[in-house]
Amino acid sequence: MVFSRALAVLLVAAAVAPLVLPPFFLQLLTEIAIIGLFATAFNLLMGFGGMVSFGHAAYFALGAYTAALLVKKAGWPVLLALPVTPVVAAAGALLFGFFIVRLSHTYFAMLSLAFGQIVYTVIFKWKGLTGGDDGLLDVWPPAALKSPAAYYYFALGVVGLAMWALAAIVDSPFGYALKAVRENPRRARFIGINVRRHQLVAFVISGAFSGLAGGLFAFYNGSVFPDFAYFTKSFEPLVVALLGGVQSFGGPLAGAFAFKVLEWLISRQWPVYWPLFLGSVVIVVIVVLPQGFVGLLGRRGWARPGQS
Amino acid sequence: MDFVTGLFPWITNGPLITVQVMSGLSVGMLLFLVSVGMSLIFGVTRIVNLAHGSFYMVGAYLMVTLVEVLPAQEWAFWAALLLAPFGVAALGGIIEIGLLRLIYRRDPLMQLILTFGLILVIGTLVLLAWGPDNKSVSRPDALAGSVRILGQPFPSYYLLVLGLAPVVAVTLWLIFYRTRWGMLIRAATVDREMLGALGVNVARLYTQVFMFGSWLAGLGGALAAPTVAVALGMDGDVLTTAFVVVVIGGLGSFAGTFISALLVGLLQSFGILIFPAVSIVLLFAIMAVVLIVRPWGLLGRPEE
Amino acid sequence: MGAAGPELATPGDLVLQTVGLRKHFGGVTAVNGVDLAVPAGDLRAIIGPNGAGKTTFFNLVTGDLAHDSGHVYLAGADVSGLPPHQLARRGLGRTFQITSIFRRLSVLENVQTALLSHHRRHYNALAAARRLYRDEAMGLLERVGLSGQAAKPSGIMSHGDQRRLEMAIALASAPRVLLLDEPTAGMAPRERLELMGLVAGIARDTGLTVVFTEHDMDVVFATAKRITVLHQGAVLAEGAPAEVRANLDVQRVYLGQPVGDEAPARGAR
Repeated sequence: MVFSRALAVLLVAAAVAPLVLPPFFLQLLTEIAIIGLFATAFNLLMGFGGMVSFGHAAYFALGAYTAALLVKKAGWPVLLALPVTPVVAAAGALLFGFFIVRLSHTYFAMLSLAFGQIVYTVIFKWKGLTGGDDGLLDVWPPAALKSPAAYYYFALGVVGLAMWALAAIVDSPFGYALKAVRENPRRARFIGINVRRHQLVAFVISGAFSGLAGGLFAFYNGSVFPDFAYFTKSFEPLVVALLGGVQSFGGPLAGAFAFKVLEWLISRQWPVYWPLFLGSVVIVVIVVLPQGFVGLLGRRGWARPGQS
Repeated sequence: MDFVTGLFPWITNGPLITVQVMSGLSVGMLLFLVSVGMSLIFGVTRIVNLAHGSFYMVGAYLMVTLVEVLPAQEWAFWAALLLAPFGVAALGGIIEIGLLRLIYRRDPLMQLILTFGLILVIGTLVLLAWGPDNKSVSRPDALAGSVRILGQPFPSYYLLVLGLAPVVAVTLWLIFYRTRWGMLIRAATVDREMLGALGVNVARLYTQVFMFGSWLAGLGGALAAPTVAVALGMDGDVLTTAFVVVVIGGLGSFAGTFISALLVGLLQSFGILIFPAVSIVLLFAIMAVVLIVRPWGLLGRPEE
Repeated sequence: MGAAGPELATPGDLVLQTVGLRKHFGGVTAVNGVDLAVPAGDLRAIIGPNGAGKTTFFNLVTGDLAHDSGHVYLAGADVSGLPPHQLARRGLGRTFQITSIFRRLSVLENVQTALLSHHRRHYNALAAARRLYRDEAMGLLERVGLSGQAAKPSGIMSHGDQRRLEMAIALASAPRVLLLDEPTAGMAPRERLELMGLVAGIARDTGLTVVFTEHDMDVVFATAKRITVLHQGAVLAEGAPAEVRANLDVQRVYLGQPVGDEAPARGAR
């Protein structure tokens, strides 16, 4: 991993923040970190793997609900529950990914969205387990972590570790092969890579880290709701990644910052207009920029899973 | 297990099954209207219109307004049913001409993201125009009650759906296979460039197809309005189910979409009996099985 | 089956063999029962007029296309119908008609990735790939004359250099047999001979077997040890270059013109 001066400054600023900023902004930063992780995990698939999932909120939600259920219904301590979240989310990603990666890119997009909705519907309808529309409330971390500053440091620590792991993965042999698959699946096959399997593994890793972000969010928010899995939530990591730049590892994190600030500014005044704003901005940018958001995924669009 | 003993009376009860099948077929028909529009748009323009569920929703909401605005006469319902789809088609036309035309040459991913953005935009506009509360549309007096099929009660309104949708399906078939316009559409699904080279105004064809697809989705929404709660979030529900239909049947295949829509309608209808809470999981399982065996849907063509 | 040539190979020496390979597209039979036997160390050119089925045949052998009937044997093992990545693992290397590299990766990364996969380390998510197989990769790049451009994004190199890179990528997987699909397409005549000279040199040094399709007869006759001529999906003639050149059927098929130094390069696509 490359340690640039910018990164060092960022880390120092982040460490010092609670000393200067009021609790509200600490909470905003916490959210930024969490959604930054989610978007980075998402971008492992999109920017580095060339696969765009339109239903990624499903794994975020699986993580969030796992955390909430373990703590509320099984009485687990937060520190034990959190590590389980990526595991459950990974299982979900394995299940869905198994079917999705065999498909052409169009079906991949549609089905990822559909599977996301399926998770939403199951959460919504399984009232007995998930509380349905009412969600699960009172999902708080222990007293030591409850204050904005304390949870901020905790989240920052977890996110920092997770980002470090993701960065390592991107620069690892696995990451190199993944990028090769994105660039040219046919050539990748001819150097011996099982493209489908590689994409599935990337999908599972991405899902796992998305679930971890979900778990962190559950304890931050104190409650979980079915719409964590709704497809409009799936739009968020996509927009965040696009805003920040999908070709760089740190892009999504920067995008998260911009996104959350924008959301705070707009949702505060006109909450109804936020989805309208989001959708419109994306539409305008796609229409106006010659390459959409930069020629993201190579000349031929994204990798075509399932092509032979 | 509960569901087995619950199921038993059904298995042996012919009339009940018949009625349930008919109801499933009605649901399937509505799904068909939405799905065939999406499939048609994709087949010709190669764009998956993620906002297709939104068109369905707008059709339902337009129905609400038209029924309120028109005088409280018997014919008002029918007039509304006739007009609502055209409202949606107009919306589709605006979107196609104003937006989609600009991105036809783009990366399919960009097109998908753009139509995804449309879902948010249209959803908010609907919220702003009609407010957050659920709406409803009353069935016309003539179809408000129920009839007896083999001794079992069956909502009369569903007879309308059952009767109307096959008419639409047959009309569509006639259009696609017996008119010149339909031939152009079929040709476009196979080779667009060739069509352009032959002097056909492909841009205009795209607009027509998109508006036609939107019209169909709007009709589906308008027809469905008296049977469901007209609410925000309808777009997501129907979108997911339409995706399942289209993926099982094969994107771009008319017959595939038809068969698949009926199948999914029946599955939903019976699934609710067997697994009330999670019939959608049953759907997922079926779809998964189909995709393993035939990754392009039952009657779809390999993507390239 | 005309295998009359100085190196009559026994089946055990055959690195690549096809038996009765057939492929129909609707009513058209693109490949009509092709038998090919390539012994170890051969430099085999597959030629034929446009539409003879060369590229289709290649695609059948490398698993890009499903064959309708027939068999493909790699070093004696039946590999018919195996997916490309398994064929690659068994020693079948390939380059493509349209240069196929990893455009946004650097030249070095292209080769490193191939090496990582060859050594089965591509599921390793912990190590820093940057440092792995650098020397091996640089060695391969030097072999093809690209070591000076190692850090460059491969997509911006000249076409000829990209072709060389593709060669290096294919070689990184230490194949038993390398299939080159029109390796010199789009290159100037001098470049072509250079590239094929490079290939022949590598083949000589490493004992690699090479099979290539080609339209440029100068290249073919300068490089190939044996030539197989395809016509309408079947083998028309096969043998050492001189024999094939003198073969009347072959001459007739190329419109009666003498195949040789004065022959126009056929089939410029």
